[in-house]
Amino acid sequence: MTGNEPVLKLEGITKTFPGVKALDDVSMDFKRGEVHGLVGENGAGKSTLMKILSGVYQPDAGQVFLNGARVSFSNPREAQLAGISIIFQEFSLIRGFDVADNVFLNREPTRGFGHMDRRKARERTRTLLAEIGIELDVTRKVEELSVVQQQVVEIVKALSFTASVLIMDEPSATLTDNELRRLYDIIRTLKSKGVTIIYISHMLDEIFEIADRVTVLKDGKVIGTRPVVELTRDDLVRMMVGRTIADYFPDLGKSRGPIAFEVRGLSKTEKLSNISFQLCAGEIVGIAGMEGSGQNFLVRCILGLEPYDKGEIIIRGAVRLCKNFHEAMEAGFGYITDDRKAMGILGRMTITENLTIASLRDYLAFGFLRRRRENADARRQVELLNIKSTGITQPVENLSGGNQQKVLISRWLLRNPEVLVISEPTRGIDVGAKAEIYRIMRELASSGKAILMISSELTEVIGMSDRIFVMRSGTIEGVIDQHEGKASEEQIMSLAVGHIWSFANGSSRS
Amino acid sequence: MKLTPFAHATSGRSSWLRRFSEPHIFVWLILAAVVIVCAIASPLFLRPDNLGNVFLTQPVGLGLATLGQAFVMISGGIDLSVGSLISLLSSLAAGLYRSQPGLNPLVVALFLVALGSVAGAVNGLIVVQLRVTPFMATLATMSLFQGAVLFYASRTIGGIPDSYRFISDGQIVGVPFSIILFILVICGFSYLLRMNRLGKHIYAVGADPYVSQISGIPVRRVRFLSYLICGILVGIASAFMASRLGGGGPKVGVGYELDSITAAVIGGVSLAGGTGSLFGAFAGVLIIGVFYNIMNLLSVDAYLQIVLKGAVLIAAVSFYSKRRV
Repeated sequence: MTGNEPVLKLEGITKTFPGVKALDDVSMDFKRGEVHGLVGENGAGKSTLMKILSGVYQPDAGQVFLNGARVSFSNPREAQLAGISIIFQEFSLIRGFDVADNVFLNREPTRGFGHMDRRKARERTRTLLAEIGIELDVTRKVEELSVVQQQVVEIVKALSFTASVLIMDEPSATLTDNELRRLYDIIRTLKSKGVTIIYISHMLDEIFEIADRVTVLKDGKVIGTRPVVELTRDDLVRMMVGRTIADYFPDLGKSRGPIAFEVRGLSKTEKLSNISFQLCAGEIVGIAGMEGSGQNFLVRCILGLEPYDKGEIIIRGAVRLCKNFHEAMEAGFGYITDDRKAMGILGRMTITENLTIASLRDYLAFGFLRRRRENADARRQVELLNIKSTGITQPVENLSGGNQQKVLISRWLLRNPEVLVISEPTRGIDVGAKAEIYRIMRELASSGKAILMISSELTEVIGMSDRIFVMRSGTIEGVIDQHEGKASEEQIMSLAVGHIWSFANGSSRS
Repeated sequence: MKLTPFAHATSGRSSWLRRFSEPHIFVWLILAAVVIVCAIASPLFLRPDNLGNVFLTQPVGLGLATLGQAFVMISGGIDLSVGSLISLLSSLAAGLYRSQPGLNPLVVALFLVALGSVAGAVNGLIVVQLRVTPFMATLATMSLFQGAVLFYASRTIGGIPDSYRFISDGQIVGVPFSIILFILVICGFSYLLRMNRLGKHIYAVGADPYVSQISGIPVRRVRFLSYLICGILVGIASAFMASRLGGGGPKVGVGYELDSITAAVIGGVSLAGGTGSLFGAFAGVLIIGVFYNIMNLLSVDAYLQIVLKGAVLIAAVSFYSKRRV
């Protein structure tokens, strides 16, 4: 085998999930001893690709070659034995076990009849740790270790399989700067030993710091692979975005009303720092940012679902502390989560029951539900929002995603909140229904509601928002008022990944 | 290149202290405290015959059943059928001797253990193959075994010969045979759980089935085996109980399912699976035994004892769940 022969080669990998083509004819190769960055927007297909490489998923079409030989894995253990290990964001460690036990889980050295040779396991673990130059007590339980130490355990576990390819999925997500530098050192050590590292990250700084080459994925396709030295940050951002904004979005809001609520100095250790903003009646504000930048945590704090360290939430001129969601509802908030199935619809219950669940008090007479009134209101809502169903007694789980979302919006309409918080309003919804949801949201805003929208789809954020907040690492990195000129995807992306874009058209930064 | 050790790699606590703060070791300290309190509360408590009763005679039956329960709980399951299985097996032993008085005690005992393992295998298959949750599966077999014993013999049957009663009453060079048996069993199964791969996998499956699965551990086989082991241990417990009571009947194992779960939990076995040890669970058995004993010595009403036992269980569970946070 020559030195130029790639360790790992993908050819025409395709993977389809119901309704989505997650990967479309992906071909790429990885060289021995390189750090290969893999970047792309949320949902570009990075995770799916890694899951195929590590044997969690099987591709619908395409081939994987390891050291020139075709391979296919039916589970992660097979991939590991062949030399491909993956470190997921959620570590695959047993927290109550010590370091050595985790490294050798299900490969425990034994001396016949299953009698474990724990000393051997510990010695081998120590040797592996020494190889990458780390000191760590192998008898300590994983739950007592810091995040980067747990990462080290995962790395050592991978090495114990004599890994030739190590995939790291967002390894920096939970690390401090100091720990990240340690991780870089370890990566460089591994690299010098000929291990290929596939490094997935949202953070461009990290790619430029550690990667030799970088591949950009978008909408399940490979946009390109380049040596990092040939790229500027602008080039990389441009490769990651560059989509035309679809034209099914309604016009922006016409007028901005009085302040609906205000957040001042909201902070939570390691999650949010000093968030302040105002939201006006009649406007839609979109919160953008890479996944895990604190968007959902922020709204959960506002809605009383998470405790925060300090800060004030001012509603109608008065400071109001919501200790739980019920109080937030009383204060005039409505909330549609990003997980419709688990935290939205009551799947087996009827449309009527789903619609009135948040405002049952209005349907009570002497403690009894007034069914007729419930049904009348349900019929009206179904007609108003054009909810396609066989009738108001149909279980909501049988509706399409778009119609389920309409049911959730109707649920809050019946309660008439002043502020509606919607996370991922059109996730898993087909294009036609998307346009309808957008129209409904805009009508709601025009009728004087304030809407706070979290979305990981940039087109949606740009198409819908009067103002855009871009979050990064728990802060609002920039505010873009779209009435002063439409934002570009590049502009949002560069704020989200922490790289100052040289704006051609003016933008406001707070 | 040698990196400096992580700044926070070594916490202040020494490994000794760390070990003592683990529930299954800490529980022995609790036992010691309970014993001291009891000694003060009642002068009768420290009398040798009472101590022998509490620490040697009484705990063997529940102890064996609790070891089985601990296996299942560590693997992430629960077994509600242990009590009715003990009733069923002890009755079968007595019935067997009625029809064939001359049987070799060893044959009868092995027969019970074999039947116990079959019952455990049934529980395991229902959980693993039919995918019934452990609670429901063993609730059903609890009813099944209890119904079977009532159908077989609606009241207590005696007739266990003296030769068989060696199991509970016999001595070897002055040491009660039941104690020797128990020590052998707890040491043997403890070895299996702590030093053998299977034991490691039982912990792993209980602690995190997903991680176990992606590590290639045969999760369902491990779950099945933990029920099988529980059945074997309950079989041994039944063999002992038949000997101690000189017979069997539908009421022999009453309360054992809850007592074994209570003892295991007090002894540091988590209901969520993945933690605990057999010796810890046995300490839980002794604490329950001491608890019943002191209640009797202080002439507390029998029904009130059950109320207090519930309170102790709540206290134990909340104590451990607080420590975990």
